Amino acid sequence: MLEILEKGLLRVEPGLLLWTIITFVVLLVILWKAAWKPVVEALDARAEKVRSDIENADRSRQEAEKLLAQHKSMMDNSKNEAAKIISDSRVDAERVKNEIIEKATADARDLSDRTKKEIELAKDRALADIKAEVVNLSTEIAAKIINKNLNPDDQKALVEETLNKVRTVQ
Amino acid sequence: MVHFVQLLNTIVTSKAEAHACGEDSMYDIVISHVTDQPFLYHVTPHGISEIFGNLIFKLNTLLGFHVPDATPVTECLHGHAAEVILATPVKLLGIFDLRITKWVIMLWVTMLFCALVFIPLARKIKNSPMGSKSRWVNLWESLIGFVHDEIVEPNFEHDYAKKAMPYFCTVFFFILFANYLGLIPGLATATGNLAVTAGMAIFTLFGMFAIGTIKQGPLWIFSGIVPHGIPFLMYFLLWPIEVMGLIIKPFALTVRLFANMTAGHIVIIIFLYLVMMFQSYLVGVGSVSLSLIIYLLELLVAFIQAYIFTSLSAMFIGSSMHAH
Repeated sequence: MLEILEKGLLRVEPGLLLWTIITFVVLLVILWKAAWKPVVEALDARAEKVRSDIENADRSRQEAEKLLAQHKSMMDNSKNEAAKIISDSRVDAERVKNEIIEKATADARDLSDRTKKEIELAKDRALADIKAEVVNLSTEIAAKIINKNLNPDDQKALVEETLNKVRTVQ
Repeated sequence: MVHFVQLLNTIVTSKAEAHACGEDSMYDIVISHVTDQPFLYHVTPHGISEIFGNLIFKLNTLLGFHVPDATPVTECLHGHAAEVILATPVKLLGIFDLRITKWVIMLWVTMLFCALVFIPLARKIKNSPMGSKSRWVNLWESLIGFVHDEIVEPNFEHDYAKKAMPYFCTVFFFILFANYLGLIPGLATATGNLAVTAGMAIFTLFGMFAIGTIKQGPLWIFSGIVPHGIPFLMYFLLWPIEVMGLIIKPFALTVRLFANMTAGHIVIIIFLYLVMMFQSYLVGVGSVSLSLIIYLLELLVAFIQAYIFTSLSAMFIGSSMHAH
């Protein structure tokens, strides 16, 4: 059994074993100080940075979404307001239009009423003038008749003449 | 083809000469490729590898890891007689033969590659907090992420995962680099050796004991590993089994990594050996393409084994944080 370990393929040379241990320890120390420490630190730092970047991005996204929602609601509000204003003003305009029309109608009616009244008044005045004229004419006729002693034919002719006069005046 | 391989062999290893020694058997070739041998001193070196070996031999002498013999001897190496100087190792504490071998050099090369990749990478990652555009940086970053997500995170709670990351990253990339460097022809697989994988598994064992002791108190070995709510007598039956399990887990890690890394190499070498054996173009085309397929499979296995070793280590160490 031990012979196998001393010769040939399966030989375990204690010196080589010791060299392996020495070499490995030296390499371990060198790489630990000069390579793995900075590498692991750098890789950890990078992983940390990536994680924090992702977190930040997530937070920003949420904020943006919140703002967008806010903005949307604001837009909706202003749209509603605008619609309300338009409908209000339409109602107002309708009202004003009706008022104007009513007023105009009333004015027109007033004007025609007044005109009618004035016409009536003028007619009355004219009739009164005519009446006075008729009275004057009758008086004159009467005076003439009285002065002349009229016969019945003459009197009839006179009355007709007078009536004609009156008719033409009317 | 055959002549080309022989020519290549001549250039890389040694001068063709009339050899008194016989050809290497398949066993010799396989063993010489997948096992660790101390470097010899070639009196008349031929090729890059022998000159390099001589340098390491001298370095070992300089560092006092071995004492060279006074007189050179003639040995049969890869079917050629060569004049070499052997050496007697100076064992530290009588056990540890610390001579620098090919495998030790591969461990250092692996360490060097890890340092060369990850230290500049750390600076680049640190300097670009938003993530780098460079493909090189992102490749390694994704692998580190893989270690974190698939290996460490499932076995440790968050704070501990952060603390455990450096250790498991080092284990994963050390084994990964060693596995892939071993696939480059001419180099050796550091993890294809029981001593190396045992060394790595000892860290897992140590980690299990250390974490258990720190998180559950020094007596965890008696209370933490046996499931609660079992009859009193069952405890004495289960406790030795659980303790054995504690030892067997890293042992299994050792053997699994070693076997997986070695097996593929042996298959590749044997397929290539068929070319020398049959010396036929037909076999050459077949065996080379098959060894290429095994090589591609090895590329996959290299990654999978690094992942399995690390994730099982993480599971074992993570499970010793809480009582069963």
